Amino acid sequence: MKFLISLAFKNLTRYKRRTLITAGAIAFGLMMYIFVDSLLLGIEIESVRNLKWFETASARILNDDYWENRFQRPLDINIPNPDKIINKLEDNGITATKRIEFSGDLILNSADFGEDGNMSVVVTAIDPKRDFDVFEFGTTLQKGRFLEKNEDAAIIGSWFAEDIGAELGYWITIVTRGNGGFYEAMDLEIVGIVNCPNPNVNRTLIMMPIDVADEYLAMEGASTEISIKLPESADVEEEVIHIQNLLNGDGLTVMSWKSMAADYLAIAEAKRGGTGMILFLIFLIAAVGISNTMLMAIFERIRELGMMRSLGMSDKKIRIAFMLEAAGIGLIGSIMGVFLGIIVNFFVVKYGINYGDMYRDMDIGYRVQAIIRGAWNFKTMGIAFFAGIFMSTLVAFFPTKRALKMDIPSCLRHQ
Amino acid sequence: MKNKIITILILLSLFIPVAAFTLTGEEIIRRADNIQIFETSEASGEFQIKDRFGVKVSTFNSWSRGTNESLIEFTSRAERGQKVLRTEDELYLFYPDAEELIRMQGSMLRQSMLGSDISYEDMTGGKDRISQYDVILEGEESFKGNDCYVLIMTAKVRTVPYPKEKLWIDKETFLVWKAEYYTKSDRLLKEMETLDTKIINGRTIAVETRIVDKMKTDTETIMFMSDIKINIPIDDAMFSLEELSW
Repeated sequence: MKFLISLAFKNLTRYKRRTLITAGAIAFGLMMYIFVDSLLLGIEIESVRNLKWFETASARILNDDYWENRFQRPLDINIPNPDKIINKLEDNGITATKRIEFSGDLILNSADFGEDGNMSVVVTAIDPKRDFDVFEFGTTLQKGRFLEKNEDAAIIGSWFAEDIGAELGYWITIVTRGNGGFYEAMDLEIVGIVNCPNPNVNRTLIMMPIDVADEYLAMEGASTEISIKLPESADVEEEVIHIQNLLNGDGLTVMSWKSMAADYLAIAEAKRGGTGMILFLIFLIAAVGISNTMLMAIFERIRELGMMRSLGMSDKKIRIAFMLEAAGIGLIGSIMGVFLGIIVNFFVVKYGINYGDMYRDMDIGYRVQAIIRGAWNFKTMGIAFFAGIFMSTLVAFFPTKRALKMDIPSCLRHQ
Repeated sequence: MKNKIITILILLSLFIPVAAFTLTGEEIIRRADNIQIFETSEASGEFQIKDRFGVKVSTFNSWSRGTNESLIEFTSRAERGQKVLRTEDELYLFYPDAEELIRMQGSMLRQSMLGSDISYEDMTGGKDRISQYDVILEGEESFKGNDCYVLIMTAKVRTVPYPKEKLWIDKETFLVWKAEYYTKSDRLLKEMETLDTKIINGRTIAVETRIVDKMKTDTETIMFMSDIKINIPIDDAMFSLEELSW
């Protein structure tokens, strides 16, 4: 066996160029596999994070009847005394903020926007003092300033601003229905534009101060939701039960982000099947590349194989020697592939890939805006490493077996 | 002393007829509502929806019973078969192409009907305003040569769409010649004006009405009503969900 290992090693060093080219092909395939896996995993992680940071928070308290009517955004199905609940949560070390979400028509006037128009929008009224403790808008300001209490002002998403041609200082009018059903119209000055990494939010976001919305909509201190931030390490489902117990009924329901984003998660799960297929195809391409180079390597050495047989070396030993050599190429390729994968991954994780405006007007489902960042997945690297060696060894088996079926003169005459 | 009393009585008697025949704001509204409420009614109509892109015409047939039941069926080519049904508590929309019945609620009620200046709610809204508004008779004005009462109605409840309405109601026929609809913060939302009338069964009824959404520019909707028949027999099933999707 020692002789066979030594023979395989010598062969590897004897044909340096061939060894390097074959191992390079393996390395490239594995690097691509690691790279694509990193990107797909990164999208998923960032998407979930952006979902929690800008849409759902970790959990949300709602009126028992709100969720089933959520698409109507009813103001009369509300939380009557949110401040009391927030104080109670704070006493238990839980950060929370109240919000009012309502739908309306956005009226654009030609004086500011060049032409008149109107469109359906969803407005989120926030507590300017507390909202950024729960949501992560604090770092997203692109222009202007954040909201202050008691001002007829709005902050909008940067994509939304681009779509409607809005600038700081422009006035928008929201026509909506107040608590009960009466019409109300409010003029709001755009004081800030935020560039939210969550495209779904950035495309539609309009925020205004909650005390102003309360007055216009006759909410009398009520809110439609209380959003809660939990530590990343927290078991959300367990915390939801804990908060539900704290509320002691009161006609309120606590929902985790997973329950609220069930549709998204179902889509993500389906996408995961798709990404699995993509990875499989990448793996297949890498495997075909490895097989091809190994086949070439074996076939061009059939004469050598015939000579070894004519000298009396057993078929079994020849097969083992060739497979050991293939495993060696696989090992070199895998080391190179994983190393290259780590280098590429480092840049993808740190800087990401900016695919710019490619998906600007497309909803790809994921809550990721222009820059896609990768994620470290050491399991994938391990799989890639061992798969590289295994595949090389495996694909060497069949051409060797075929060559060994040929008679010795045919092997020696093989071109 | 006796002469003084007689003089006062004579003076008072001069004022009695005036007080007796002066209508209150509520009474005016009640009468205005009454001329619009029929046991049953049937009519054909047409919308002319004008915006910056041009004029779009939609035709419809409508039926109503009492204050809270009505059915509108569109007959124009683009919307043929679409129906809007208002029952006591609900509003339904039927799309024949999709064979889909939609219960309108929340923000859906606010949506413009066929892109007009009229929302679904405006078209089918109940007519009993007395129970929902405080009415103040603000004064009298002549509107297009018609002597009118000018009334301000302020909502008592939050469940009505327009928190404030200003109406010009004909002193003789109690027809609403003009109406302005305001938001809670006093913004003018919509304006309605009667352009033409017809006397049917002794009542003066608006047959041409202009509605302008003041939140939009360069838009108006003119509604024509024709073939109005009132207090005719209408099958109960007309206002049922089964009939809607039939």
